[in-house]
Amino acid sequence: MSDSSSSSTVPAGHPFRRKGRGTDGLFKAFFAGNAGLTVVILVLIIVFLVREGAGFFPAYRGELELYRKAGLEFVDIARKDLTAHEQMSSLLNRAYYAQVNAACRREFQRSQEATQVVGYIDDAVAPPRSALERVTEGAGEEGAPAELLKSLNARYQSLLADALAGRPGKGLPPTPHLSDEERAGLLQELGAREPLSTDEPALVIALQEQLAAKQADASEPLAGFRETINAFASASEDLDNLIYETGESVKATKEAATLHEIEVTKRDTLLAAVPGTKGAEERAQLEADAKAAVTTEPVDYRAALQPVLGRMGEFEAANARLAAALGEVKAALPSDLADEKAQRYLATFRKAEDEYGRELADTMPKMQAWDFEKPVGLGATISGFITGRDWITGGEWQDFYGIVPLFVGSLIIALIALSLAIPLGVGAAIYTNQLAGGRQQRFIKPTIEFLQAIPSVVLGFLGIAVLGTLLQETSMKDSFAWVPGFPIEQRLNMFTAGCLLGLMAIPTIFSLSEDALNNVPSAFAEASDALGASKLQTVFRVVCPAAISGILAAVLLGLGRVIGETMVVLLVAGNRIEIPDFTEGLGVFFQPAHTLTGIIAQELGEVPFGSVHYRALFVVGMVLFFIVLAINWSAQRLLHRFRIGQD
Amino acid sequence: MVSDPPTKAVPAVAIENLRFQYGDKQVLHDISLDIPSREITAFIGPSGCGKSTLLRCINRINDRIPGARVSGGSIRVAGIDISRPDLDLQMLRRRVGMVFQKWNPFPKSIYDNVAYGLRIHGKKSGTEIDERVEHCLRRVALWDDVKDRLKASAFGLSGGQQQRLCIARTIATKPDIILMDEPCSALDPLSTLKVEELLLELKQDYTIIIVTHNLAQASRCSDKTAFFYLGKLIEHGPTGRIFTTPQVQQTEAYVSGAFG
Repeated sequence: MSDSSSSSTVPAGHPFRRKGRGTDGLFKAFFAGNAGLTVVILVLIIVFLVREGAGFFPAYRGELELYRKAGLEFVDIARKDLTAHEQMSSLLNRAYYAQVNAACRREFQRSQEATQVVGYIDDAVAPPRSALERVTEGAGEEGAPAELLKSLNARYQSLLADALAGRPGKGLPPTPHLSDEERAGLLQELGAREPLSTDEPALVIALQEQLAAKQADASEPLAGFRETINAFASASEDLDNLIYETGESVKATKEAATLHEIEVTKRDTLLAAVPGTKGAEERAQLEADAKAAVTTEPVDYRAALQPVLGRMGEFEAANARLAAALGEVKAALPSDLADEKAQRYLATFRKAEDEYGRELADTMPKMQAWDFEKPVGLGATISGFITGRDWITGGEWQDFYGIVPLFVGSLIIALIALSLAIPLGVGAAIYTNQLAGGRQQRFIKPTIEFLQAIPSVVLGFLGIAVLGTLLQETSMKDSFAWVPGFPIEQRLNMFTAGCLLGLMAIPTIFSLSEDALNNVPSAFAEASDALGASKLQTVFRVVCPAAISGILAAVLLGLGRVIGETMVVLLVAGNRIEIPDFTEGLGVFFQPAHTLTGIIAQELGEVPFGSVHYRALFVVGMVLFFIVLAINWSAQRLLHRFRIGQD
Repeated sequence: MVSDPPTKAVPAVAIENLRFQYGDKQVLHDISLDIPSREITAFIGPSGCGKSTLLRCINRINDRIPGARVSGGSIRVAGIDISRPDLDLQMLRRRVGMVFQKWNPFPKSIYDNVAYGLRIHGKKSGTEIDERVEHCLRRVALWDDVKDRLKASAFGLSGGQQQRLCIARTIATKPDIILMDEPCSALDPLSTLKVEELLLELKQDYTIIIVTHNLAQASRCSDKTAFFYLGKLIEHGPTGRIFTTPQVQQTEAYVSGAFG
C-alpha cells in the first residue's frame, strides 16, 4: 500500500485511472484561439490606425511651414478682415431686403399664388401642348395632318377642362390672397387661351407690376439706408484688390517651391538607385537623368516676399479705410427698423460691430509682427488640427485640416438624436417592462427591435425623401413661423439627420434599458406594492432608481452608436463643412453640417494614397475611435457598478 | 377540520370557505379561519401546503402573479370583503403590512427605506418623517446601530439587521396587521432570536400572522397556530393545545416530526 500512495500515478486498472488524453485540450485550444484572434484583430486595427495617422502631423507641419514661408499666411491675415467685412455687409443687406420684402409681403403672395395657378394648368396640359408644338413646327408648308391636329386639340381641351376643375394631383393651388373674382377671371382666361399661346395672363402681369411698384415704394424711404450700405460695402475695394494681387504673387512662390521639391524628390530617387546599377553606362545615364531632373532653382523666399511686404503701406491705408467706413456706418445706421426680422439682422450687426472693430485694429500690428522665418512647431500643428476651425481640402490656395467643424457637427447631431431617443427609448422601455400587459410586451419588443434591422442607407433615403421634404414644407407654413430657424433654407440639415439617428438609437437604448429594468429584482417592486404604493410610485421611486445606472449605460451606448453612424449623416446632414452659426439660437439645429464619420466616408475614396489629406482622414478616424472607445468604456463601468450595487 | 370556538367578538381577519387557484391548479380548498387581533397567529405545515399563498391573499399581493385568483369564498379584513372590485388596494396594503422571507430593503439609504412608506402616502414634513423613522428604528432595536449612518446604503447592514429594517419599514405606515412570510428562515439563530423578541414586543399593537417552517419558533412565540396540509386547513387553535394535544392524527404526526 505504501508504494502506491507515494507514487504519482493512479495504478493501472483502477477505476480512477484516466483513459486516453481526451478531447478537452483540443476544444480549449480552439476556443482560446478564437478569443485570441479577436483581441489580435483589435490590436491590429489600433496599430494600423495609428501608423497611418501618425505620419499626418509631420507632413501637415511641412505644409504649414510652406504656407508661412511663401507668405500665404501673411495675406490671410488681411483676408480675415475682408471676410469679416463681407459678413457685416451681408447682414446690412439682409436687413434691407427683409424690410423691403416685409412691406410687399401681400403683393408677393398674390403674385406667387397667381403664378402657381398658371403653373398647375401648364403642367396638366403639357403633353398635348408640346406634341402640338412639335407637329406644327415640323409640318412644313402643306401643314400638319388635320386628323392629328384635331385629336391633339381635343386631348388638350379635355386635359384643360380637367385641370380647371382641379382634378389632377392635389387640385388647384389655393389662392387665399386673391379675391374670388380675380381667381375666376384668371381661370377663365386660362381656359380661353390658345393651346400654343405663351402669353402670361393679364392678372399675372398686373400682379407683377403691382409687386414691382410696391417694392419701389417700399425702398423709397429706405434710400438713405441703401446709400449707407453701399458706401460701407464699397469700402473694401482697396483691400480686395490688394489681396488679389499679393495673393497671386505668394501663390506663385508656393507653386515654385512645390515644383522644386518634387524635382528634388525625383532626383533623390534616381540617385538612390545608382549604387544598384551594374554597368558604367547605365550608371552614367542615371546620373545624367538625376541632374536633368532638377530644372528650377530653390526658391529665395525673402526675395519673393519683398514685393508683398513692400506694400505694407497700402495695406495700412486699406485697413484705415475699412475702419473709417465702420465709424461712418455706425453713425448713419437707422436706430431701428419696423420689420422684426430686419430688426434682428440689424441687432446682430450692432452686436458684432465692436468685435469687428477690434479685429480691424489688431490686424496691422499682427501683419507687422509677422515673420516668415518663424518655424511652425509640432505642438502648433497638433493644436491647429484639434482647434482648427477650417477643414478646407483640394483648394488652390491652402489646405487646412481643422477638426472643429466636423466635431461640432457630430456633437450637435448626436445631441438632437439623443434628445429624441432618450425619452422615446427609455419611456418605451419603462412602459413595456413595467406597465404593459403580456400581449403588448410581445408586440412592442420585437417591433422596436426591428427598427435596428433597417439598413441605415434605407433610413437615409427615408430622411431625404420624406422627412426633409416634410420638414421644409411644414416650416414654410405661417402657423409655424414662431419656431426658431423656420422657414428652413436647407432641406437636408442637422435636425433631419438627428431625427433619423435618434430613430436608429431607439432600439439600442430601448433594449438595454429594458434589460436594466428587468434586472431589478422583483422583490423591490413587491415590497413597494406591499407598502401600498401605486403602480407609478413603484415604477418611478423604486424600480427606475434601481435601474438608473443601467439606463445611463444604455444611453451612453446609444450615444456611441449615434456618433459612429455614417451613412445617414452622409446622406442627410447636408454636408456643409462649416461651424454652425450659433447666433441663430435654436435655429442652429436647422443648418447643414458635416461630421467626423461623414467626412471619412466621403473623402477617403478620392484622396491620393499616402497624401497629407489621406493621413488627415486617418487621424479623424483615430479621434472617432477614441471617442467611441471612451463612451463604451464609461458605459461598461456604469454597468459594472450597477451589478455590484445589486449584491 | 377541528376548531376551537372563537374567543373574541370581531376577528382582525375572517376567512370563509376560501378557494384559490393558480391557473387551473387549485391550491387552497375551502379554508375558513378567524384570526384574532393583537395576537400572533402562526401558519405551519409542510412545503407546498398553501400557507404562504393564504398569507399572500390577505393583502392581495398575489394579484401580482398572472393567473392567480380567488375562485370562491371571501376574506374579510376589519369586516370588509377585500375581493370587492371597488376596494382601494393601496389603502388595504397600508392597513395590512408585509414582511418577506428574504429581506428586501430598497437600494436606498437606511433612512429612505423607512421613510418610503410615509412619503408615498403624501407625508412631506421633514420633522414628522424624522420622528417616525427614529421611532420605528427604535422599535425594531436598530436605532443605536444605525443612528450615525442613516444616509448609508441599507445594503451595508447584516442580514438580520436588514430584516429588522424591513420590519421597521412595514410598521412605519402604522398598519393594523402584519403578515410575515417565514421572516427568519434565512437568518442565523441569534438574529432569529432578536426578531422573535421583536414579534412579542410588537404584539401589543399589531395583529401578526407568521408563516414558519420552524415548529420551535411557532411554539415559542405564537398564541394561535393553524396547521395546513395539501391546501386544506387541518386544525387550528391555541398554540399550546396544538403542540401538546393535537386532535387530528396528521397534526400530531407533523408536530412530532414524523413528516414535514
